Amino acid sequence: MEPMPRGLRMLNLVTGGLFVIALYMVFFYAPLEAVMGEVQRVFYFHVAAGWVGALAFLVAAVAGVIYLARGGKRWDRVGLASVEVGIVFTLINIVSGSIWARPIWNTWWTWDPRLVTATVMELIYIAYIMLRQGTEDPERRARFGAVYAIVGFLSVPLTFLSIRIWRTIHPVVIGSGDPTAEGTFDMSPRMLQAFMFSLLTFTFVYVTLLWHRLRLEVLAERVEQRKMSLTAPGA
Amino acid sequence: MIFQEGPAETLNYMILGYAVILGAMALFVISLIVRFRNLRKDVELLDELEKRPQR
Repeated sequence: MEPMPRGLRMLNLVTGGLFVIALYMVFFYAPLEAVMGEVQRVFYFHVAAGWVGALAFLVAAVAGVIYLARGGKRWDRVGLASVEVGIVFTLINIVSGSIWARPIWNTWWTWDPRLVTATVMELIYIAYIMLRQGTEDPERRARFGAVYAIVGFLSVPLTFLSIRIWRTIHPVVIGSGDPTAEGTFDMSPRMLQAFMFSLLTFTFVYVTLLWHRLRLEVLAERVEQRKMSLTAPGA
Repeated sequence: MIFQEGPAETLNYMILGYAVILGAMALFVISLIVRFRNLRKDVELLDELEKRPQR
């Protein structure tokens, strides 16, 4: 296995630095929200995690299109790695949203369109991993994975638009939403800065984790190939 | 919350929220490290097996 590329080592440092600054901005720079209190600070990383989930699934869909058009194992790897990162961050988004909802909506869970579409999206991508694990032939696995990532991506805009299409209690942060939504708040300039910085930081976190996950996949494939050649008849 | 005075007491929920967020991220990073280590062990084992004289 080649040593960690210089670019990745630099990216680790930059991402780590950005993460520390983002934490500072969330806890010390952004003001306390007047009604919800401290729990509103969950918002910064809750939305940023949701953003990473959507971005990761978009990257997987684009990688799927490129794989189907041109072929190339690397695009299959990008799809798998991106979906795995996306699943983790969508789960963070759902669970942290539930924790934020408890004191504001007075419930951990409600069958709200946003909560339901986000959970369905998460389940769709968990099924992607299961589909891959259940397919032996690598070519077939990659082709199925590519098609699934493209079709599965339909759930991402649906989740994003759910709070704009249907009646919901989930607040709309970007753009105007239903004023009766529970948990809506006006962002002060400092809140907006902390929010935008969190989005930037999580984008860096995504790229860093994707790169590490891709390297892991390359190593796993090499090990698998060597095992196959050792156990092959006549080896 | 219409007639409340001052922000709601929600510090515990914020702590729980960030514990989950940071904990899940840490778990994912740890899972990557563990998988890397296991694969490196596999590589070492395969190197040893390949060095052995063939019968």
